[in-house]
Amino acid sequence: MPYLELKNVSKHFGRLAAVEEVNLQVGKGEILGIVGPNGSGKTTLINLISGYYRPTKGTIYFNGKKISGLRPDKIAELGIIRTFQSNVLYEGTTVVESMLISSYQQYSTNNWQSFLETKAWKDDNEKAVGRVIELVKLLDLLNDTFLPAEGLSHGYQRMLGIAMAMIANPQVLLLDEPTTGMNHEEAMFVVDKIKLLSEQGVTVILIEHNMKVLLNVATRVVCLSFGNKIADGIPEEVMNEKEVIEAYLGTEIL
Amino acid sequence: MRYFFKTIHLIDYKNIVPKTVIGLFIILILLIPVFTRNVVTLSTLIMTGIWAVAAMGFTLVLRTGQFSLGQSAFMALGGYASAILTAQMGLPFWPSFLVSGLVSGLIALLVGMVVLRVGGIYFSIITLALGEIVRIIALQWEPLTRGSRGIIASAPPPIILGGHELVNFNASLAPYFYFMICLVAVTGLVFWRIGESRLGRTFAGTALNPVLAEHQGIYLMKYRVIAFTVAGVFTGYAGALYTHFLQVITPMVFGLWQSIQIMIMSIVGGIGSLVGGPIVGSILLYNLGEYLSRLDTPGLQSFLFGSVVVIVVMFLPQGAGLVNLWERFWNKVVWREEEYEPDEPED
Amino acid sequence: MPPAEILIEGLTQSCIYMTMAFGMVLVFSILGILNWTHGQLFMLGAFIVFYSTTAAGIPFPIGILLAGLVMAGIGILIKKFIIDRIKGELYIGVATLALIFALEGAASLLFTSDDRGLAIILPGVLNLGVVAISYQKMAVIIFTLIVMTAMYFVLNHTKVGLAIRAVAQQPVAASLYGISTERLSLIVMGIGCALAAMAGAIMAPLYPINPFIGRTPMIMALLAIVIGGLGSLTGAIVGGLILGFLHSVIAYYISYLSEVVLFGLIILILLVRPQGLFGASAK
Repeated sequence: MPYLELKNVSKHFGRLAAVEEVNLQVGKGEILGIVGPNGSGKTTLINLISGYYRPTKGTIYFNGKKISGLRPDKIAELGIIRTFQSNVLYEGTTVVESMLISSYQQYSTNNWQSFLETKAWKDDNEKAVGRVIELVKLLDLLNDTFLPAEGLSHGYQRMLGIAMAMIANPQVLLLDEPTTGMNHEEAMFVVDKIKLLSEQGVTVILIEHNMKVLLNVATRVVCLSFGNKIADGIPEEVMNEKEVIEAYLGTEIL
Repeated sequence: MRYFFKTIHLIDYKNIVPKTVIGLFIILILLIPVFTRNVVTLSTLIMTGIWAVAAMGFTLVLRTGQFSLGQSAFMALGGYASAILTAQMGLPFWPSFLVSGLVSGLIALLVGMVVLRVGGIYFSIITLALGEIVRIIALQWEPLTRGSRGIIASAPPPIILGGHELVNFNASLAPYFYFMICLVAVTGLVFWRIGESRLGRTFAGTALNPVLAEHQGIYLMKYRVIAFTVAGVFTGYAGALYTHFLQVITPMVFGLWQSIQIMIMSIVGGIGSLVGGPIVGSILLYNLGEYLSRLDTPGLQSFLFGSVVVIVVMFLPQGAGLVNLWERFWNKVVWREEEYEPDEPED
Repeated sequence: MPPAEILIEGLTQSCIYMTMAFGMVLVFSILGILNWTHGQLFMLGAFIVFYSTTAAGIPFPIGILLAGLVMAGIGILIKKFIIDRIKGELYIGVATLALIFALEGAASLLFTSDDRGLAIILPGVLNLGVVAISYQKMAVIIFTLIVMTAMYFVLNHTKVGLAIRAVAQQPVAASLYGISTERLSLIVMGIGCALAAMAGAIMAPLYPINPFIGRTPMIMALLAIVIGGLGSLTGAIVGGLILGFLHSVIAYYISYLSEVVLFGLIILILLVRPQGLFGASAK
């Protein structure tokens, strides 16, 4: 049984078919890259998996359970966490505060215990803070811990976005262009972390335009064009397929 | 919006005001009825406290990013519930009072579950309509509410302990004053804990970026409903106290204009703090309104009140209420702290 | 089927809600804020036409235009000296809500809070056999038609109108193409406020005038906007139309708690279509 499965999934906006009859199976621990020219439906695909959109047709299964049609928070509860294409932050909070809001699912105590400030909650909160600090260190955000999130540079805002997804302890991590606006070193830093996650059994699906990054990190690549899946396989092969090159028309291939 | 959510502290912020000063201040407030029996002073203070509780309710709802324009409807619900139970049905005071907030909270829960799915500006406008609905029902459901004549609500009964009359609500205003203090204290305590606890964090997420919060597993509606319901309960109690203090409730006293006043108190006071801001706001604005209402010229009160609020809002630094100005003053003058101002991102 | 008079009454109400709602949505689409003072501009418009016809002897139609012009000016002043100086939607909301108090207070000071009535300007009734329409109500309906047609023309066939639509859809792109958002928002604020004032002016002979008459139209216009879908001009018109008819028809059948039924219906509409009838669906 595949871990995450899309069966004949379509999404239409009026007469526009953003995603058309896509079938996709992703295994546990895989790092799946999604490529395709602009407007080919990559982000829509992530929006469909994360529940932001409901598919017009087709079903999505996770761990054998149907997840299409669930609310985004229910899907997040199951462990499918996403990031956004643009820098989507909790504006007005510091890095650490953003991370603590994002650890929403990671507490073992409930709201009442927190409200009454019981011993269990205090321990739990300390643990949460500990996890945040750990992750902040791992992602090189330590110096910025107490800075307002919107004051960070673009690259670090993206890093914070990834950190906020990682603190939610995902089973499946959906990354929408995680390295845009980063320099090569920063991008490679992110690649390392993604590989680390994958080793821990986390499935990662990422949209990526930077081919160096993609070839470096992905174990498998899917190419979309006008909402259709036109290629699926190991990165080097997919990137050399005639259809894929045609779809891009040489604009972004290296 | 920096001041919006200072709810998540990792470092222990230096106590803004030393504990001894707070303690002394509280004792002074508690002793006010000992120093003065002046009816005007005491009733002004009691009303200030009642509006402060309502303003806290507004701030709590705002913490989840929702802008309620119908908070006074919950005061009316609480007030009418208590008045109907005691005067129309002849039930004893204390159980009726306890039920009044629950009635108002229950309505908030039901309305919230329907309306908060939508949120945003729709929520504002529907709560506005809710305020009108409550007012019209109060006006037109004569058998229950006695229409525009209103219901005469009696004072709370004297508290008798061991054959000795301990508290008599008819003798002076002092018992009402302490009643108000209790209500403000309980509301303040509950709201303060909400702000400091995980709920406060989740509220912040819900308000600051609903889409992101939803994708991190936060069920937006649940938290919006919690805030709206809790606010409804305590606003209801404020309304019930109001009713039994003035000993009458009519459909005229709670309408859109009172809701707007509650909102103005909350925001001008400062939404950065769940308890302090509304209290500061209601102290200043209720007294401003009271002072202006002594002017004889009709219209002048309303004109000056509106103008003063507009001017205050124009000169408030962004995201700060009056309570924050006080904080800044305290930090600068008393602690001589350099204020941390993050660089404005360019765009 | 309620009698035709009720429907005519409903249509007259609709015209007012429509004009108010249209102005509010126009301002919202450019400035991104709801101007809560629209109801008070409506009230001031009625007062201007009252005094210009009774005290100064200016003809009624010119009085309407005068009301529109004066309130457009006041709207621009509000925009320039109050709204522009406040940062943050929340605080602008507070300021415009507080302005309601200030404007009503000012009106009570200037005109006292007594009811006054403007004599019917166009006496007489047009009898169509099945239905009789008073000329005054007909004037309201025709006036609204003229205003809406004019607005349609302005928005679709003039440079300003195209600029307004461009900014409403793509503010950033529009400013890159050299449209001054700043100037445009002043113009739009002027138009929106003028619409509210003229609605008040045309209604002046039909209802008593006092400083508080703006409240109900404002609430109704807001509800019309919500029904129609916030940000949609068509929605504002259709919302206003629906609301005016519903209001009159419900009041005809059930006088008891009719507003409650009306509000209940609105909430029901929103439950089925949370984004309003013409609002863009998010998902």
